[in-house]
Amino acid sequence: MSGYWPWWQGAIALATVTVGYQVVVGRSIGISGAWERVLNWREERAVERANASLDDDEFEAAMAAATAAAFGDPQPPLLARNSPSTVSLDEPAPAQRTPRRAEAPTTPAPVASQALLLVSVLIGAVLAAVSSGRFDVRADMGPAFSDLVVDGPLMWPVLFGGGILVGIGTRMAGGCSSGHGLSGCSRFQPVSLVATAVFFGTGVVVSTLLWKVI
Amino acid sequence: MTSNLRTHGGVALFGLMLGFSVSMIGFGDFAQLNAMFTFQDLRMFLAFAGAVALAAVGYAIFVPGRPARRPIHRGVVPGAVLFGTGWALSGGCPAIPLVQLGTGYLPAAVTLSGMALGMVLFRSANARWFQLDRGSCGL
Repeated sequence: MSGYWPWWQGAIALATVTVGYQVVVGRSIGISGAWERVLNWREERAVERANASLDDDEFEAAMAAATAAAFGDPQPPLLARNSPSTVSLDEPAPAQRTPRRAEAPTTPAPVASQALLLVSVLIGAVLAAVSSGRFDVRADMGPAFSDLVVDGPLMWPVLFGGGILVGIGTRMAGGCSSGHGLSGCSRFQPVSLVATAVFFGTGVVVSTLLWKVI
Repeated sequence: MTSNLRTHGGVALFGLMLGFSVSMIGFGDFAQLNAMFTFQDLRMFLAFAGAVALAAVGYAIFVPGRPARRPIHRGVVPGAVLFGTGWALSGGCPAIPLVQLGTGYLPAAVTLSGMALGMVLFRSANARWFQLDRGSCGL
């Protein structure tokens, strides 16, 4: 239909993105979380810097302990108390801060990587539209939107209001169709199964009202 | 540094794939979206459900262990209701307005700005009144 992919091709592609992102990046993909972090980049960057200086303190403590071990310890009780047992002297501290295991990242994804994710989605969409011949700059949302939802200037408040609902709703529910729907459901997260069932069910009700009633 | 390169390379690669796939499946097309939600055309629904099933298999093979269970707090159900309503009305989940923009639908920029406002509003409202778990998307 209209040159879109058959369902199985879409399923393979989305599953590859979901699992591939987890395996390569070590985190689960989530677009609404990416938006939130990018939108609040000032605050998020401040947190990142605070974490980085904390790690520097740990690194200094490890270095002090290493120095003490090599050259004799002027104050053994103090250093023994201060040197964190989790920091191994054989390994540089940064290796401890970037866990390779996919299961337990200790810090949120860097804001820069989340901005990159959103830009990449946009570029991927442009590539798809251009290569499939669907790219078409227009000032409306297509005939189906005009027929089913609203036509004319009322379109603007409806899109803006719908956007606000999406923004509040995804953050209140803690995820969207990628974070809850794809990543969460495929790992049988109960909260994601509940959220996906509810947002999909609501989508069915509202879309049916638009189709049948309005 | 190598881990940084791996992170950014992976993010860029799978971000491109996500934008490309979501567009090629047809999620940016309001006619397709309404046809999915009203069960007139099961193609996109099957693509999504099939992706979840395949990803479950993929996780079982490639990602050992189970993630920590997250609580179902009191914001999950009302949030999902708001999200589902907004999605069906505007045609946008947080990735889709980007895909629509990339296809040339300029009004999707208005959906995006509404979404951004909603997220910022909820963030401060949550900090002041609700204190709900912000979710582990991107963690």
